[in-house]
Amino acid sequence: MTATQGWLALVILSGGSTLIAWWGGTGVLVALAILTLAWAKAQIVLNVYLGLSEAPGWSRGFALVLGLFMLGAMGLAVAAGAV
Amino acid sequence: MSDDTDPETGFYALPGDLMMWILIISELIVFGAGLMAFMAVRLTDPQGFTAAQGHLDATAAGINTIVLVTSGWLAALAQRAGAAGQVARVRLLLASAAALGALFLWIKMQEYAAKSAIGIDFETHPFFTFYYLLTGFHALHVVAGIVILALVGWKATPRNLEVGTAFWHMVDLVWVLLFPIIYLLR
Repeated sequence: MTATQGWLALVILSGGSTLIAWWGGTGVLVALAILTLAWAKAQIVLNVYLGLSEAPGWSRGFALVLGLFMLGAMGLAVAAGAV
Repeated sequence: MSDDTDPETGFYALPGDLMMWILIISELIVFGAGLMAFMAVRLTDPQGFTAAQGHLDATAAGINTIVLVTSGWLAALAQRAGAAGQVARVRLLLASAAALGALFLWIKMQEYAAKSAIGIDFETHPFFTFYYLLTGFHALHVVAGIVILALVGWKATPRNLEVGTAFWHMVDLVWVLLFPIIYLLR
């Protein structure tokens, strides 16, 4: 993915997040959708903007830690929805 | 035993300067801990957090997201122009990236002013304590990033460009995680 393709993907994903907020959706599924879009955006910044796609081992390591963070955030979002 | 020179996993495989990566990881840990603390405290009062979040302008923050990722894109293009030895193009792209950073800060200041005008401060609700701490700390990084982009534009070597733009992309990365968690999750 080039920097320009990465930027386009980030704009589309950010627009998607904001559209969900405009739509006014609430609940666990909406929260999970928003966090999934954030996860995808973070992966693009890491791999395209920060160039980790050139270092596959480091890219996998960052993806693992980011994945754990996002799963933790999703778990807390689900818990908040259940309170 | 790991090999630091391994082309895939060694330290030398990391693009850019190792010290910049140590700084980036440190910053991500700090912001990550702050966001997880926010999510955990939100469990104690989900309705209160949702009501407090209703005072935020998600549209302005969404526009700010586009502004910042576009700025990151310009910085990425500047880095590539630097590798091709196009110094004038590098400076134009970095100046544009920094200008978008300044626009991000201006929109953020409008947001803070709007909160202040209706009496919202750090102590109004725990939501706003996290909101001001996390977005304020991030805004300080934007200020630092603008200074770094200016310095890199002045001394536009490929190495300086790689290190300086990496910091700017870290600021981008933090925002794409912070924006949905603070502004959009309900």
